[in-house]
Amino acid sequence: MALSEIEKKILQRLQSNLPLTHRPFLDIANELDLDEDLVIEKIKAMVEGKYVRRLAPIINTQAVGNSATLAAMQVPDDRIEDVAEVINGYSGVSHNYLRKGKNRELPLNIWFTMSAPSQEELEGNIKEIEDRTGFDVRMLPTTKKYKIGVKFKIYRKG
Amino acid sequence: MTEDLDIKLIKYTQEGLPLTKTPYKDIADGVGMTEEEVIDRLKALLENGKIRRLAASIAHRKIGINSNAMTVWKVSQDKVEECGKIMAAFEEVTHCYERPTFPGWEYNVFTMIHGYTDEECENVIKSIKEKTGLDDYVMLYSEREFKKVGVRI
Repeated sequence: MALSEIEKKILQRLQSNLPLTHRPFLDIANELDLDEDLVIEKIKAMVEGKYVRRLAPIINTQAVGNSATLAAMQVPDDRIEDVAEVINGYSGVSHNYLRKGKNRELPLNIWFTMSAPSQEELEGNIKEIEDRTGFDVRMLPTTKKYKIGVKFKIYRKG
Repeated sequence: MTEDLDIKLIKYTQEGLPLTKTPYKDIADGVGMTEEEVIDRLKALLENGKIRRLAASIAHRKIGINSNAMTVWKVSQDKVEECGKIMAAFEEVTHCYERPTFPGWEYNVFTMIHGYTDEECENVIKSIKEKTGLDDYVMLYSEREFKKVGVRI
């Protein structure tokens, strides 16, 4: 299933805040010149079709008191699978990727993000991953944010 | 007290708002508040930054945005502010952060670049190089995705 033009239009709109009104989908429908029932039906279909992961509050972990970090490891090929599994086992891990430098080789190859209710717990989890895998984990927390706003352009360029 | 109700509201909604005509009313019924309270609280959470957005998280790969290049840059301290702003201005740059360095790791600025193709990402990188004059960088493409979920509390 490819997205229809109407679905793309709705999806583009849904990446910005939902109106905080009694009938938010009616407001969106009016903005886009569509019908409220159709908007709701299309959103449901896009959630079911997994185009939309969720329509929900996107939490600022730090602002709600959590600690978070990007972390990187250097893991040999034959251990990648089990190390990734250990990392994935932590519920505070939101992203976990194997990455490779394209223009230059870099030793760090597993990159993940982790958050925890406190800095202490975060560091405890990282230490535990080191102990369980036998590899060092480099913590690279954000020191300054210039941009965070994952909004994608749904329409293809050109 | 107030805090607890905020957390309760976030926990109740973080997997997804009800897809109904009156989602805030339905949330209100579920958590034992009034619709007005739910709306006011969500407004306050957006204003104080505890919620970044009340919006859709999209599966970018599924809609064809298949390339994501985490690009790390070595930027001297006196140029970080300026370069960070230039990078952040590109719409394909979804995240731009400064991070610490350590012996053996001197890349202090991270940009997450998303595109439909690697070529699209690389054109952005080329433009960033031209506009900032930076030359020491590494494009780190994701080879495998082991986990990708939204942050929950």
